[in-house]
Amino acid sequence: MPINIPELIIPLLPWIRGVVGLVLIGAIFLAAMGAVWLERKLSADIQSRMGPCRVGKYGLLQLVADAIKLFTKEDLKPWNADSLLFNNANIFMIGSIFLMLVALPVGAIFINGVEYPLAVTQMDISVLYIEAVSALSIFGIFMVAYGSNNKYSLLGAFRNFARMVGYEVPLGITVISVAVMTGSLSIVDISRSQGLHWNIFLQPLGCFVFFVSLMADMGRLPFDQNESEEEIIAGWITEYCGMRFGLGFFAEYMHMVLGSFLVALLFLGGWNVPGFVANNPVLGLIAPTGFLLVKAVFVLMVIIGLRWAVPRFRIDQVVDLSWKKLFPLALLNLVWAVGLGLYLGA
Amino acid sequence: MEEQLEPNEMIVHLGPQHPMQPGPFRLNLRLKGETVVDADIELGFIHKGIEKILENKTYLQGITIVDRICYLVALVNEECFVGCTEKLLGIEPPERSKYIRVILDELTRIQSHLLGIGEFAEFIGFVSMFMYAVREREEVLSLIDMVTGARVTHSYLKFGGVRDDLPDGFKEKTTPVLNDLKKEVDNFEQMFHTDRIYRERTVGVGVLTADVAKSLGVSGPALRATGVPFDIRKNEPYLVYKDLDFKVCTETAGDCFARVQVRLNEIRESIYILEQCLDQIPNGPLFPENTLYGRRTPVMRVPAGEVFHRVEDPRGEMGMYMVSDGSDKPYRVKVRGPYYPTLQALPPLIIGTTVADVAAISGSMDGCTSEADR
Amino acid sequence: MVLKNIKYAIKNITKPPVTRMYPEKPSELSDRFRGLQILDKTKCIGCGICANTCPNAAIKIVKAPIAPGSEKQRWFPQIDIGHCLFCGLCIDQCPKGALSSGKEYAKGLVKWKHKDLLMNPDKLAREVDIEEGDER
Repeated sequence: MPINIPELIIPLLPWIRGVVGLVLIGAIFLAAMGAVWLERKLSADIQSRMGPCRVGKYGLLQLVADAIKLFTKEDLKPWNADSLLFNNANIFMIGSIFLMLVALPVGAIFINGVEYPLAVTQMDISVLYIEAVSALSIFGIFMVAYGSNNKYSLLGAFRNFARMVGYEVPLGITVISVAVMTGSLSIVDISRSQGLHWNIFLQPLGCFVFFVSLMADMGRLPFDQNESEEEIIAGWITEYCGMRFGLGFFAEYMHMVLGSFLVALLFLGGWNVPGFVANNPVLGLIAPTGFLLVKAVFVLMVIIGLRWAVPRFRIDQVVDLSWKKLFPLALLNLVWAVGLGLYLGA
Repeated sequence: MEEQLEPNEMIVHLGPQHPMQPGPFRLNLRLKGETVVDADIELGFIHKGIEKILENKTYLQGITIVDRICYLVALVNEECFVGCTEKLLGIEPPERSKYIRVILDELTRIQSHLLGIGEFAEFIGFVSMFMYAVREREEVLSLIDMVTGARVTHSYLKFGGVRDDLPDGFKEKTTPVLNDLKKEVDNFEQMFHTDRIYRERTVGVGVLTADVAKSLGVSGPALRATGVPFDIRKNEPYLVYKDLDFKVCTETAGDCFARVQVRLNEIRESIYILEQCLDQIPNGPLFPENTLYGRRTPVMRVPAGEVFHRVEDPRGEMGMYMVSDGSDKPYRVKVRGPYYPTLQALPPLIIGTTVADVAAISGSMDGCTSEADR
Repeated sequence: MVLKNIKYAIKNITKPPVTRMYPEKPSELSDRFRGLQILDKTKCIGCGICANTCPNAAIKIVKAPIAPGSEKQRWFPQIDIGHCLFCGLCIDQCPKGALSSGKEYAKGLVKWKHKDLLMNPDKLAREVDIEEGDER
C-alpha cells in the first residue's frame, strides 16, 4: 500500500501487526460461529422444524453454550494411539486456514476515488498461494484418522485421501484458466478486472467445475464420505473429545466461509461497484465491502442448502466423477479461456 | 471368520450399538480395503421372551402382550392373535367389525411404509427425506389415534369385534389426509426417479433373485420386488379382502430401487383400499348376536385344538401357530415373524460390495429387529 | 440432475414449521386417550375382576373409606402407576362401570419418591389432590 508511514510509528509496527492478527483470528472465529448458526437455522427451515430457539434471541447464543460444553469435557486418548499424530493434528487443520486468511481480501475502501483493498498482504501469486495452502488440511485430517487406532477412522482416512487427490486437479485448472484470461495471478487484480462482466458469464463451465471441486475439497455433502455417519459412525474424528473435536469442527466451517469468499471474488465480480457509488464519500467506504459480503453469504447459503437436499455418493463414484468427468471438463474450460482471452485481447 | 487374516484384511463390527440401525443386531464384516469378503449376523440382543410370557397370561391379557412384538405395526400383530383365537372359538365378527379392522390395518401399512422409505433415504445420506416422510406419517398417526386412543400399542381388538366404533365424522377427516398423501407420494417418487445420485446408489445394488428369496422364505416387499406376486391378501383372503379390488405390486429388478418402488406403490394401493372401505362399510352391530362376547369379554375356556393363521404384515407374512388344551391360557403360541428370514438373506447379498452399500442394502429391507428376536 | 430435490427443499422453506413449543403449548389429546383412571366409589362393589384382568398385576384391592370423613370402609382398587400399561382392560371388564379414563399423563403421574406411585382409592376418586409429590 503506497501510504507514507510517519517516523514515530515504525517501532510500534510489530505490535500493530500482532493486534491486527489477533483481531483477524477473532473475526474468523465469529464468522465460523455465524456460519454454524446459519446452517442450523437453514436446515431447520428445509425440514419444517425450528432450529435453536431457546438460548438467546433466535438461538444466537447456542454456539456459546456449545463451546462451553466442549471446553468442559474430559480429554480422552485411546489406548495405543500414536501420540505425535494425535496431539498435533489440530495444528495442521487450523494452521492451513489461518495461512489462507493472510492473502484473502475481504473488501475494499474507496477514498477520493482511489481503491485500497482490505487484505493483510497483497502478493503477486496470491491465488496460487491460497490454493496450495488449503491443501495442507489433508495432512491434518489424515493425522487424526490414522493416529486414532480405530478401524472406523482408518476407513475414513483412506477415503479422504482418495477424494482430495482427485479434486485438487480440476480446482487448480479452473483457477489457472481464470488467471489466464485476466493475465495475472494476483487475486486483487482478478477481482478488479471484472468490472460489470463477471467471470461467471464469461466462463460458466469453469464456475460450475470450480464450485463442485470446492465442495469436494471442503468435504461437504455430497462428498463427505470420510465422516459419513451412517456407515462408519463419525469417520475420521470418532476418537476426538472436547475441544479437539471443536477445533476440527470449526476448521470445516472456517474453510466454508473462506471458500465462499473465494467464489465471490473469482467468479461473482468481487467488490466492483458502479462508478457513481465509488466516488460517493460515504457509500465508497461501506458499499464495496458490503456488496462482497452479500455475495459471499449467498454462496454460503447455496453450499449449506445443497447439503440437506441431496443424498451422498459412494467413494468409488466420487473418484470416478473427478477423474473421468470433471478433469476433461476443466481442460475444455482452459481451452475456451485461452481462446476467449486471445479474442478479447485482439 | 476369525481364521488367518491376510495382511490387508480386517474385521469390523457394524455392532449392536450403531447410530443408524433399525434395532440391535451384530453384523461382522471381514473387509479387504473397502470390499466385504465375508459377513455374518448375530441376533438376540433384544429377546424379551414373549412366547413364554404368553403361556402364563389369559387370552385377553395376551392381546396387550402381542401388541409389543413389533410396536410399529401393533394392530396387525393383534389381528393375527385374535384371528387365531377366533378360529379356535368358532366365532366370527360381523361385517362392520371386519371393515373397521381392514381400515386400521391399511392405515398401519401406510405409516409403516412411510417410515421405511424415510429410514432408507436417511441411510444413504438424504437426511431431509426422513423428515418429509415423518411429517406425512404424523397425519396418519393422528387418524389412528382418533379411533383407538393411542399412537402405538393400541390394545384395540377384542374377540368377536373391536372395542369402539369409528368416531363421528371419520370419513370427512380422512379424505383430505388421503388426498394430500397421494400428492406427496407422487412428489417422493419423482424425487427418487430423477435424482442421479440416488439412482447411482440404488440401481443394481443388492440384487436378490427369485430363487434365493423363495428358498430362504423371504416374503413381503422384498419378495415382490423380485417378480413373485405372492400376497396373502390375495392368496388366502381373510377379513373382507375378497370383496375389495386391488392389485399386487411387483417389480422385476430385485435391487434396492425396486424394493422402495414396491413400497411406494403399495401406499397408493392402500389409499385405494381405504377409499373403497369408507364407501362400502355397512351399519350394524360390532359383536356377534346371541353370544356373550362384547366389549366386556366373558371368562373363556377355549376348546382344545391347534390352528395356524397368517396375515399380511407390512414387512411380509406373519403367522401364529396356537395350541390350546382347553383352559383359559394358551398352551403354546409360536410366532412366525417376517423379518427373520429377510435378515438371513442379508449376508449373501453384501459379499462383494463396499461398506457404503451394506448400509443401503440393510436399510432397504426395512425391518424391525424387535420382531426378529421376540 | 438433482433439480427436483432442490426445488422441493426450497418450497419447504416457505412452509411454516410444525414444531410445537412444549411445555408452553400442551399436546392435543384425542377423545379416547387413556390417562389415569377415575374411580366412582358409589358404583364399585369390590369384586376384584379388574385386579384379575390386569396383565401386569398392577391393581390390588384394599380397604378405604367410602366418602371423605366417613367411618364405613369397603374394598376398593389401588393402582400402581409404575406397573400400569394404560391398556384400558380394567375399564372394559368392570361389571358396574365404576372405572373410567381420565386425561392425566404427565402432571400428577411423575413422582420423586417410589411410594407416591401407589395411587390409593382416594386419589383415584379425585378426593385428594394427585399432584402432591410432584415437587421434591
